Amino acid sequence: MHTILRFGVGAMLSAALAAAPMAGASAKDKVKVAFIGPLSGGNASIGVGGRNSADLAVKIRNADPKAKYTYELFSQDDECKPNVGVQVATKAASDPKTVAAIAHYCSAVAMSTVDVYHKFGMPMIVWGAVLPDITYGNDYKEIHRVNGTMVNQNEVAADFMTKQGFKTWVILHDTTDYGKGHNAYFSKFLKEKGGNVLATFGVTADQQDFTAELTKAKELKPDVIYFGGLTPLGVRIRQQMDKLGIKAQFEGVSGIVSAAFIEGLDPKLAEGILAFREGAPVEKLPGGKYFMEQYDKAKYDQGPDAYGAFSFAATTLVLDAIEAVGPNRKKVTEYLSKVQNKDSITGPISFDDHGQNTVAAITKYVIQDGKWVLWEDSEYAAGKRKLAGK
Amino acid sequence: MALLGQYLVNGIMLGTIYALVAVGFTLFFGVLDVIKFSHGDVLMVGAFAGFTAAMAVAAVGISNPVLQLAASVVFALSVTAALGAAIAKWLILPLKHAPRMNILLVTLMLGTALREAVRLFYPDGSNPKAFPALLPTSALTLGDFTLRADSAILVAAGISVIVGLHLLINRTRLGLAIRAVAQDEETARTMGINYALVVLVTFALGSGIAAVAGVMNGLYYNEVNFGMGLLLGLIGFSAAIIGGLGNLYGAILGGFLFAMLQMLGAVAMPFASAYKDVFAFAVVIALMAWKPTGLIPERASERV
Amino acid sequence: MNQLFSRMPPLAAAALAALLAFVFAVVFMEQESDVAVISLLALGAVAAWGAGRVGLSRRVSAAAATRPGAVAALGGAVALGLLAVFAEDHFPLLMLSTVMLYATVALGLNVQFGYTGVVNFAGAAFFGIGAYTAAELVGRTALPPILVLPLGGLIAAVVGLVLVVPVVRTRGHYAAVVTIAFSVLFKTFLEVNDTLGGPQGLSVAPLSLFGWSFGEGPEILGISASFYLNYALAALAVLALAFVMVRRLERSWIGLSLDAVRLDETASACYGIGIRRSKILAFVVGNLVIGTAGALYGSMLGYIAPTSFTFSDSLILVAIVLLGGMGSPWGTVFAAAIVVILPEKLQAIQEYRFLLFSVVVMAILLFRPEGLLPRAVRRYMPAPKEVAR
Repeated sequence: MHTILRFGVGAMLSAALAAAPMAGASAKDKVKVAFIGPLSGGNASIGVGGRNSADLAVKIRNADPKAKYTYELFSQDDECKPNVGVQVATKAASDPKTVAAIAHYCSAVAMSTVDVYHKFGMPMIVWGAVLPDITYGNDYKEIHRVNGTMVNQNEVAADFMTKQGFKTWVILHDTTDYGKGHNAYFSKFLKEKGGNVLATFGVTADQQDFTAELTKAKELKPDVIYFGGLTPLGVRIRQQMDKLGIKAQFEGVSGIVSAAFIEGLDPKLAEGILAFREGAPVEKLPGGKYFMEQYDKAKYDQGPDAYGAFSFAATTLVLDAIEAVGPNRKKVTEYLSKVQNKDSITGPISFDDHGQNTVAAITKYVIQDGKWVLWEDSEYAAGKRKLAGK
Repeated sequence: MALLGQYLVNGIMLGTIYALVAVGFTLFFGVLDVIKFSHGDVLMVGAFAGFTAAMAVAAVGISNPVLQLAASVVFALSVTAALGAAIAKWLILPLKHAPRMNILLVTLMLGTALREAVRLFYPDGSNPKAFPALLPTSALTLGDFTLRADSAILVAAGISVIVGLHLLINRTRLGLAIRAVAQDEETARTMGINYALVVLVTFALGSGIAAVAGVMNGLYYNEVNFGMGLLLGLIGFSAAIIGGLGNLYGAILGGFLFAMLQMLGAVAMPFASAYKDVFAFAVVIALMAWKPTGLIPERASERV
Repeated sequence: MNQLFSRMPPLAAAALAALLAFVFAVVFMEQESDVAVISLLALGAVAAWGAGRVGLSRRVSAAAATRPGAVAALGGAVALGLLAVFAEDHFPLLMLSTVMLYATVALGLNVQFGYTGVVNFAGAAFFGIGAYTAAELVGRTALPPILVLPLGGLIAAVVGLVLVVPVVRTRGHYAAVVTIAFSVLFKTFLEVNDTLGGPQGLSVAPLSLFGWSFGEGPEILGISASFYLNYALAALAVLALAFVMVRRLERSWIGLSLDAVRLDETASACYGIGIRRSKILAFVVGNLVIGTAGALYGSMLGYIAPTSFTFSDSLILVAIVLLGGMGSPWGTVFAAAIVVILPEKLQAIQEYRFLLFSVVVMAILLFRPEGLLPRAVRRYMPAPKEVAR
């Protein structure tokens, strides 16, 4: 009864509105994939960068004459809020035409939606959220992740920093899941490697003034100030360190590896900052160069930001899966769970039994002359320049 | 000891910025009994206007920091003053007879609109911008104590703006008109005061002060971003309230008090510095329970 | 033309309006493309204006004034009809339930500042307290899950007592700052304190009633309905309960004294109305309603985190009350539908949607300062039934 009623009232209007753009459609079947990320509010620059990258992957595939289907990207804003995340995930997952999702930058949102994807049997690949529990906190075979977790990142960071001879740290982190998680894992690994944390400060994600925390830090005279959080806060903290005359080395996390971080700072202040990020460096891979070229060609009004490459890789992987096994959720999930050593622009992808990409190599970055440079290629590693406090 | 001095300097700087924001709230409340919640975002627009002017001046080849600073301040002031007057004319005056909460909500929505507009339409607006250091950065260092020339200049500038405003309100004809409107609209009209004009000027003035605070903020932190007004507006509002609305001194007192609370929260609770906002706002709630009309209450008597 | 509907019996007019609203809602919920959404919105606005021109809306409000029970039943019928149409569709049901729960919250806020003038900018915080109560109690204790709903409300009301002293002592903008401070404090506290899941949040086990788990879709008349139908029905029940309660409250002597307190504290004190008692009553009852809705919302989503209960979420709740018209229960329900569904339908314009949303709200406030469906002045005499004849 309800279906009849619905068609009865909706048909005329929908027909009138939908008929026009249908002309000239190709003979290929249409397949929808969903992209979900924060497109408004404070994390929008990463979200929009990810959305553009996913869009690029879809456009490239559609331009490929060998592709079996025409793809449509169904992109949704989760506002970085779990309640909105559940909403849009339900929307995408309950639409039978949408085969898979490339979803979430904010960990709390991903945590809230994994149940939804599982319930609806929709394969999903995380493109940005870094909390380990998203993949390891459940046994859902639908959930995968191309980027590494913050565990890997901080293990490498702690190891590298202690080997550089740094001994004491003061940690500042934002009180979101992102910052708190980084703090927990970094502190843990640092302890194992023999580093010493003098003090830890939690700050809110919209805080402007850090002089109180930094003055306290100054008193403790650490070798390194570790910051767990995103670009805007990182910029402010680095600026205010200078204001207070703190000479310690600044160490960041993946959240600050973006061009915006350097643009937000005086070149003098940016110089020599260290940060770590999952995945092989995009610019080092032949595919990465291709990605940047294509991205520039598509003329988006904003760069791909820190996680655009992962979003591109995840989308490409989903499209490959659909090409290989057809637009069927179960089959795509099966295909994804068998992915081993598959090439992507972020390096080879292998999913473990929790859907986590295991070969997410961690790359060490340092800012040199206003650019993020691989540590191995930098003049710092060669000994020509020195990190702060050495 | 040196560190205590450092905390004090930080606190004074922060307090000056908060006081400047709070003064705006209290001015608007004085003349119209309204809360203009978009104040923090107007501040942000001012900071971006100042940033744009400084960049534009630098782009045409003038690298003199004084000229850049002047252009930055003048442009920021004129943009926000116009914006403030426009808000008063098209959003606040038309709603004067609507339920009071409407003005609060309409200005809150305007704040969101301004914030989103800057994020979307300012070139690369979603990322923080490096505000140029236009003030001398030489520093006085005594052990652990660092006082930078720019901080000192900013505090002095902020205090002189507040003193200037005080003189304007208390010593000029315009100030007299503002005070008259604040006390009683109808009597002021009868006495030949152009009511609408005074309201517009007051809003332009208050918003202009927000621009000063915005540019100061930019100069001090060397960074501006589209979200900077949100928390500053909230804090400025709380400061104006705990001081006592409609009172210039109250706003200043509130601003410094709030800065002190935050400093204290971060320093005195080293094990739990993340709780400092919880602490500051809890104190605000307690203060309101103790002094329900602010520390320096309005002198108006109850109308029955 | 102008008086086309003026002779129609009020109840028939109300039924016609309800039918139109129902058809519009069904069609609107189905639309995805931005062109369709925007043209339907325009159509809706024109229809609303047209209804005013031909006298339909006047007859409907006459019906609402004279036969409130029948009109409320019509509203319930429209809601049930919508649930029946979308029984198999998860997403529309989720949205409808969200609308109903937000409307419930706004009803609670209405008691607080629509009637009594006690401003509350911490609506989302009390909503969150209800949700966190559900997260901690369902599945973790032996408590029958359905008891969680009233408990959510109760705990929200108890926590609200912390604010009672400053809320009662302050007025107007001063009272606003108390709840704003609490709203900021609440979210920051949840983030920095790990006992309630910290910034990552908590999962909430699905509710169950007499062994019937809300997490699974029921089979009704051979149709396997969405599991959200359980929650939608529960939300409708909660909303209906809150609605009836608020209407009763408004028509009672208590409601009258609450209104008096809002309009003039000094005068009402002179007439022997306990200002303090009225304010405390309104604040506690409001939080009770809000917390109950929060508990259901939390278990419906299955996962909650501090970022869902921020100051800006409180503002959205306040916006619902003002857009609907202060103290107008029907307006509240209507505005909740707009505020929840509109941003969702604007997903098509992606990153621009909040800009557009705030501009729309500003426009409504400017052109309809009393809200979309302003509150009707209460009428005791002559008794409503007599007018109907």
